[in-house]
Amino acid sequence: MHNIVPAGENAILIYFGNKIDATLPEKIGNFANQLKDTLSDVVIDVIPSYTSLHVSYDLNKINFQTFFNKVETLLDQQDSGNSVVEIQTTHIPIYYGAEVGLDLERLLAEKNLDLKSFIEIHTSQAYLIYAIGFSPVFAFLGEVDQRIQIPRLATPRIKIPAGSVGIAESQTAIYPADSAGGWNIVGRTSLDLSLNNPENVDKFRVGDQVKFYSITRDEYFKNGGLL
Amino acid sequence: MSFKVIKSGFLSTVQDYGRLTHGEHGMNQSGVMDEHAYAWGNHLLNNHFNDAVVEITFGGLQLEAQTDTFIAVTGADLDFKINDKSAQMWHGLQVNKGDVLSWGNPKSGVRAYLAIKEGFDTPVLFDSRSVNLREHIGSKLVKGDVLPCKEFNQATYRFIPPQYIPNYNQDIVLRILPTYQFNEFSINQRDLFFNQDYTITNANDRTGCRLSGAPISIKKERMISEGISYGCVEIATDGLPIILLKDAPSIGGYPKIGTVFSLDLAKLAQRQPNTKLRFELMNIHEAQKQRKKFNQFFEIGFNTVS
Repeated sequence: MHNIVPAGENAILIYFGNKIDATLPEKIGNFANQLKDTLSDVVIDVIPSYTSLHVSYDLNKINFQTFFNKVETLLDQQDSGNSVVEIQTTHIPIYYGAEVGLDLERLLAEKNLDLKSFIEIHTSQAYLIYAIGFSPVFAFLGEVDQRIQIPRLATPRIKIPAGSVGIAESQTAIYPADSAGGWNIVGRTSLDLSLNNPENVDKFRVGDQVKFYSITRDEYFKNGGLL
Repeated sequence: MSFKVIKSGFLSTVQDYGRLTHGEHGMNQSGVMDEHAYAWGNHLLNNHFNDAVVEITFGGLQLEAQTDTFIAVTGADLDFKINDKSAQMWHGLQVNKGDVLSWGNPKSGVRAYLAIKEGFDTPVLFDSRSVNLREHIGSKLVKGDVLPCKEFNQATYRFIPPQYIPNYNQDIVLRILPTYQFNEFSINQRDLFFNQDYTITNANDRTGCRLSGAPISIKKERMISEGISYGCVEIATDGLPIILLKDAPSIGGYPKIGTVFSLDLAKLAQRQPNTKLRFELMNIHEAQKQRKKFNQFFEIGFNTVS
């Protein structure tokens, strides 16, 4: 089932469902690629997110109704076909420690966990990328194990250092660059995921997966991690 | 071959038409806030539609020409002077090496545009020269910065019919397309939205413009985040509208009642806080017709995905 609504004079929004569902990101990511391939002469940009795909198009070349019809036809074809894009898993090293995990001690106390169990829970699964946004290279990952879910901070921090890993309810994510934010910070990666390295721009893709692994304090610094 | 920044002013950044193909990577659109003034600036100089300009917000900028070239200043009247003498706006002008260009306090409007023959040649980052402070792409102009450009001793201008030079002191009507969750707002909520004068608040920048007025009561507080269009109007939890602009995040999770027509957003970009505005429904066919006409006149095209 799909629902298409206009999103602006040169954009539409395609809904693939109305609640968050682990099967949707891959479907939406695949359709985004298909759309860019098939209608490459008129599609300007695509923004996949959780349950929807935002598509902007060149109104110089195609009008709303014609574009709408073409997208609908493609959606119908996709329903009957199988996707062939392989899911990529990106592995990210994280140093879990109180000096970089600003909320780690509070979280452990609240959840009645020791550090080892927390790390085991946070690193045990491959997280699905539901959306990219908020800022570049910021990937919304889910679903976080219930044992370590925790609400956002009531007052967001003015500055969270680049590389920080946070948890907010059922989601987890890495802040690629210094920014304000209200997620609970539990560790930091030694990788530079910011746009200082322009190749990071498409590091993550909706529908792909991310798996964290724990590194020691020494490894963190050896790999270029900063305090 | 360049311009040198003598005084930085309040907020001056290099912008072009924007970074249109990286929403997929979580980047916002960026680009000039007033597409009307920008398009005319480049048009007057026979430039490409996407050539980079300096967007000068509230004035205070001073530049020294290190080369001979041609410029056009459009948009807000920020008391533009060359060598301390008032200089003509909305018109191609020759500048010579050593000339000092300055902008003072706003007389009318908010943002002025300095277009230069063949554009400023600053670095292209992710397919655009637009500076995006929120996402740490480029930085605002500071004293001592050098803006590379080409040297020209000859140029032909185009002229602007006077009726296309806007008056930025009038209250405005923003035409809005019924998009996103429009149909989920009740008749009463829509009536309240369309039948009142809103006021532009101080929370008004490149990211968005927050309005004050009579709040709409809304049930749903947050929804699942979805892709954002330039100009879409979120109704925040306080029931008041926020118009999302060029530096808004690529996704967002408030209900949206519609999307403002792009050429009306150009007018909004020149309004000071406390200006009154109203919304009026527009249908998408009319919006596309008008925008297409604008694009054709200014030869605006797109690099669609490759």
